[in-house]
Amino acid sequence: MTVRYSPTALGGAGIVREVATGPNPYLPAPARILRITELVEETRLFELRFEDPSLAAAFTFRPGQFVELSVLGVGEAPFSLPSSPTRKGTFELGIRRAGVLTGYLFDHVEEGDTVGIRGPLGNGFPIDRFDGSNIVLVAGGLGMVPLRGLLQFLVDRRDAFGRLVLVYGSRSPDRLLFRDELERLARRGDAEILLTVDDPGELQWDGRKGYVTDLVGELEVDPSTTYAVACGPPVFYKYLLEKLVDAGFGKDRIFLNLERRMECGIGKCGHCAVGYTFTCLHGPVFSYWDAINLPELIHE
Amino acid sequence: MQTLRLEFARLPDLVGALMEWGPVWAPVETSAGFFTLEILEDPSQARPDALRTVVPFKKLLLAPSFTMISGGFAETGGLDSGAVPDDQRHQVLFGAHACDVHALKILDLLYLSNYVDPYYAAQRDKLLVIAYGCWPDEKCFCDSLGTSNVDDGFDLALTPLEGRFLVTIATSKGDDIVRASPDLFAPATAEDIRDYLARLRSRKDAFQLELDVADLPYVLEMKKDDPVWDELARKCLCCGSCSIVCPTCSCFNVADRIEEDGSASRVRSWDSCLYRDYALVAGGHNFRADRGDRVRTRYYHKQEAFVREFGMPSCVGCGRCIENCPTGIHVVEVFQHVRGEL
Repeated sequence: MTVRYSPTALGGAGIVREVATGPNPYLPAPARILRITELVEETRLFELRFEDPSLAAAFTFRPGQFVELSVLGVGEAPFSLPSSPTRKGTFELGIRRAGVLTGYLFDHVEEGDTVGIRGPLGNGFPIDRFDGSNIVLVAGGLGMVPLRGLLQFLVDRRDAFGRLVLVYGSRSPDRLLFRDELERLARRGDAEILLTVDDPGELQWDGRKGYVTDLVGELEVDPSTTYAVACGPPVFYKYLLEKLVDAGFGKDRIFLNLERRMECGIGKCGHCAVGYTFTCLHGPVFSYWDAINLPELIHE
Repeated sequence: MQTLRLEFARLPDLVGALMEWGPVWAPVETSAGFFTLEILEDPSQARPDALRTVVPFKKLLLAPSFTMISGGFAETGGLDSGAVPDDQRHQVLFGAHACDVHALKILDLLYLSNYVDPYYAAQRDKLLVIAYGCWPDEKCFCDSLGTSNVDDGFDLALTPLEGRFLVTIATSKGDDIVRASPDLFAPATAEDIRDYLARLRSRKDAFQLELDVADLPYVLEMKKDDPVWDELARKCLCCGSCSIVCPTCSCFNVADRIEEDGSASRVRSWDSCLYRDYALVAGGHNFRADRGDRVRTRYYHKQEAFVREFGMPSCVGCGRCIENCPTGIHVVEVFQHVRGEL
């Protein structure tokens, strides 16, 4: 017979965590929007600071974690953080217009307004394990948003890592996020940046054409001393992951940042469950090995 | 633990005494043969022997729909977080069966560990649980899941014997209840204990339905692409009835509302993984658009994934989903089918 219930699990006697934004994990803390920057069409960068000065000063997170942003009466949704915890005081969210809440943010919210924020939530990237290794970041489309936070973090601690490579693909040149910033990093020699677009169309483009997955096959890195971190839409993983394995990466050296309907963000509401793995609680970052054992996680 | 006896005829007196503690929820025969969990107006309404109420006790801890947060539209400061209930009195759950108590422990596991859910915790703190020794029918399969008996997780338990109950006091609060009505109880006799043990034995033999749980998580993993799930999807309406009546299904949806007076609220309501838009995200991508995927997800969550995470299934074998499925899907038969036995 199965042994039911571990003694620590009952009555709240197990591990109890608290969200930085307050003891009621569902209650958002007010945060002011300091700056809104248009990144590309229908995608904006929001810079925010918590109204409560002590929370603003203390707020920290791991790259790859996310927050829930809400406007009472409109709704709430998860957003990943494209900024780094090494840059204190404020944080950023990269948001594309996609639904009711983002529509409201684009049409009705201005600099100086406050919104509700809960977080940070989720596990984030295993940054402690990255020290001393080479890091390859692979981003597809909007997947650049969380990877930009990780990239900033890695650059801010540049000496702790070996080679730092970003492979980033987008549909067209005008949809590349943070393009100037990434090109500046490359010029500075802080990171090797490989950009590619599916189809430049009429637009001026001197760079690579084709899919991100093609570039990954050409990378000359030693997979035994390198971690790969990937973030992109569902279809992107389908082709990318086996490419990385073919290139010699162990499945436990590949990390993915996945999207699901993370509604409560604290492993209660069930919407982001894949098997029993709550994407919001045990993820959104998974190793490929963990993800492959949860088939629904990456295969559509 | 302390063991006492209570004469059958004094049961209404005990229920009456419990009503002093706060509202007493118990199975009530609302229409012929149908039992629902209701607040008692009169002790005689209580039918703790009724095997299953349509909706289980979970509604006392997490209401089908409630306001989590309220305030002015788009306001961020001074919001009402609603986590402290207005009524601070106890709520008494009278007539919880062993499977219910096990389900309660599973909900505790979900809502009181990791991030504590303040809405659940506030109601849970007030809950007094009076367990009742049931007798299985043809839809009960708790014995297969190790949930047919329980020795903690309740305050007081009543086991019916001929003409009297054996009363088990399991907590200090249970002791308070007994102390408040000392004349109702007498020390248990050797005969009471002998009859209790005899009842245990014959109850064990009374189970008619069995779920084969041997290696079930592994079997399910191997059968995840089996056509059985598509066959099942053709029968399942994805109506969510099984989720609503399941004592451990507690998924919820959160939606914001705007009132006519300009105020706004964030409302939390029961949800089901069988509903089509359950895994739909902004932008229109649905991670589980296929009905077969949703049906499979529910069974895997109960019998495979939960076992991997917590070392036990999150099904307690109460039989409510069997009783309430409009197309007659029978959970035990589903797993027999998966094993190729049907």
